[in-house]
Amino acid sequence: MKKLFLLPLCATMLFVSCNNDDDNDSVDNGADITNPTLYTFERDGVSTVSFDGQTTRILMAGETTDAFKAFETATEASIKAMFAHVEGAVDFSEDDLNSSDKSIESKVAASSDFFAANTTEAAIIKGEFAGYIEGQINEVFPNENVLAAAGVAGQIADGTSTRYVNAQGLEYNQMFAKSLLGALMVDQILNNYLSTSVLDAESNRANNDNDVLEEGKTYTSMEHKWDEAYGYIYGTSENTENPNLTIGEDDKFLNEYTGRVNDDTDFSTIAADIFEAFKLGRAAIVAKDYDVRDEQAEIIRENISKVIAVRGIYYLQQAKTKIENEEVTGSFHALSEAYGFIYSLRFTRKPGTNDAYFIKTEVDGLLSQLTGDGENGLWDLEADTIENISEAIAAEFDFTVAQAASIE
Amino acid sequence: MKRTKVWGFIILLSLIVFACSTSDNGGGTSEESDDNFNRSAMLINWADNIIIPAYTAFNTDVSVMVQASSVFTETPSEENLENLRSAWKDAYVSFQSVSMFEIGKAEELNFRNRLNVYPTDVTSIEENISNNTYNFSLPSNIAIQGFPAIDYLINGLAATDAEIVAFYNSESTATGYNGYLNELTNTVLELSTTVLNDWQGSYRATFVAGTSSSATGSVDKLVNDFLFYYEKSLRAGKIGIPAGVFSVDPLPEKVEALYSKEIGKELLLAAITASQDFFNGKSFTTASEGESLKAYLDFLNTIKNGDDLSTLINNQFEISKTKAEELGNDLALQVTTDNSKMTETYDELQRNVILLKVDMLQALSINVDFIDADGD
Repeated sequence: MKKLFLLPLCATMLFVSCNNDDDNDSVDNGADITNPTLYTFERDGVSTVSFDGQTTRILMAGETTDAFKAFETATEASIKAMFAHVEGAVDFSEDDLNSSDKSIESKVAASSDFFAANTTEAAIIKGEFAGYIEGQINEVFPNENVLAAAGVAGQIADGTSTRYVNAQGLEYNQMFAKSLLGALMVDQILNNYLSTSVLDAESNRANNDNDVLEEGKTYTSMEHKWDEAYGYIYGTSENTENPNLTIGEDDKFLNEYTGRVNDDTDFSTIAADIFEAFKLGRAAIVAKDYDVRDEQAEIIRENISKVIAVRGIYYLQQAKTKIENEEVTGSFHALSEAYGFIYSLRFTRKPGTNDAYFIKTEVDGLLSQLTGDGENGLWDLEADTIENISEAIAAEFDFTVAQAASIE
Repeated sequence: MKRTKVWGFIILLSLIVFACSTSDNGGGTSEESDDNFNRSAMLINWADNIIIPAYTAFNTDVSVMVQASSVFTETPSEENLENLRSAWKDAYVSFQSVSMFEIGKAEELNFRNRLNVYPTDVTSIEENISNNTYNFSLPSNIAIQGFPAIDYLINGLAATDAEIVAFYNSESTATGYNGYLNELTNTVLELSTTVLNDWQGSYRATFVAGTSSSATGSVDKLVNDFLFYYEKSLRAGKIGIPAGVFSVDPLPEKVEALYSKEIGKELLLAAITASQDFFNGKSFTTASEGESLKAYLDFLNTIKNGDDLSTLINNQFEISKTKAEELGNDLALQVTTDNSKMTETYDELQRNVILLKVDMLQALSINVDFIDADGD
């Protein structure tokens, strides 16, 4: 009997000992924290969970990305209007989105920790997103029916798909979507809503301690901030209480790529680790245990940062294989995705610090390597350069290039 | 009590070792596998006895189709239409023997997609015919050309042959339809000639010299191309997608040779046979077998569950053909009348994916170089 009892005990200890970096040896799962099975939190029988604004922004981001391919209808003004939506403007296909006062652009590079006092860089980043839109409309659209070549924008074949690239071989729509994944979703989660500067802002702690709810709402401000972080990854999940049932299938942004990285056996617990940390952290807020809350935030920071890095390297390595096989144009799609994931590294967060894994100048350096082997960008890119970039990224994390590159 | 603790500790320790031991053998190793199999002889057999003869035969059949198309467009008649259909069918069947070899010039040209993307885009074809503007070399135009587009033009324009012929005779439509049809058949010939010339020119030497067992060696590349073809084009394209394996409902409109209604099964069987012949290294023109994937597996004495893997693979090809034989000629009709025959065929084809892609690749130390795209 006793022996049997030891097994689960061992398993628990294992969990701890295998936990990546052990600056939090013992997860104090405080006896007074009620950790539910699903992301279900109620007060007097009424749900306290809410993240509509995040769901809205994910949907807006999806439609805006799609507009990059709307050759017949999109204009620079129309895509920019989607990006910086104003309440009531008919920018989207859904009335709910049009009537919303939310916009994507207002939350790009807008986290409390990274950009509150860094508006200069935030402006540069927003400008880069505008640049993707301008490039698509002014460089790619006119060449919709031109075969791309080195120095010439247009079409390339990618299996049965057609890709539309700029003169450097880059797809603006991929750069936009994958950069947004970092500048919006990752930045808002890791550096804003999970941050003590937001969770504990004003009298949030005292209010949470005393169950003081927001005006006309069912939740405390702190509970809501945490949920807003949750919404940036699970906001469009089929089952938002149990989002890992369909992880990877519910958007084209952070949810999708968390699922994709989780498909790699080298990272097969990452989706569960992220979800469990979200859940326990929220339960800790209910139990007013802020140490456990902050420990979970660090776990989420580490793992979501890893999703970005793994996927970036994965695409780089996919492209490297193509280039080695002399399928140059066949590498462009993966490289365009990689470009966005590398861009997104600037919004990652080293656990236990106030720093990204890569600052903007480092990211810019990696990107200029990617496009710097010759005057025509990806057309001139060499396999060795890809390897160097991959290694430079992996060096900051606890996994290898080979692990990120593998598909099983 | 004490003993329990000690036991617990040992269990714990072994569990930790087990769980924390680096289980990361993932990732592409580009190690040379040092077996002594004569890869060079296999590449030569593939090039000289299979690939080049198959392209040669295909090119001849395409030339006949171009000729028939030219005769038909000069003198549109039901008889000439029948002749064109017959030539189109022969070329289409012939294509099943080269479709898997998407390497070198074929890969560069996106050969398979330019010749055989279906369902064909009827709306765009009709628009292009009426505007008389189209550029077949644009990647976005793969669905308006090749065998499926010809299928539509010779089988799908109307219900009766007389009505189809009328499109090529009537003053208002003749120029557009005749021109488009000839452009279609000529483009197939142009692409096929380009690939054949490259094999007969410098590419053969490049291909057979690539004996390294790395990801960039010819064996790894062609085996990956073969598997990609088998999985996506044959298993999924010909059977899985129309049978609804990847969707909520079956999609009968997505069968190969949709408008002909007569040759879907024949194309499928030709493809399975060609795949099996490639595996066995069977000469394209005679019954003799040379160095091959089968020989390679036997050389390495590859066993699965007590049986030779090569035997299991060949058995599975045979079972697949037997299942496919039960299908009707019109695969779309098969989907709507008794789709279980389609899904059963799919299941047999899928069983060989496991044997080929998992077991064979493991034995040969070849890494898969393709994956499902994200779909974006």
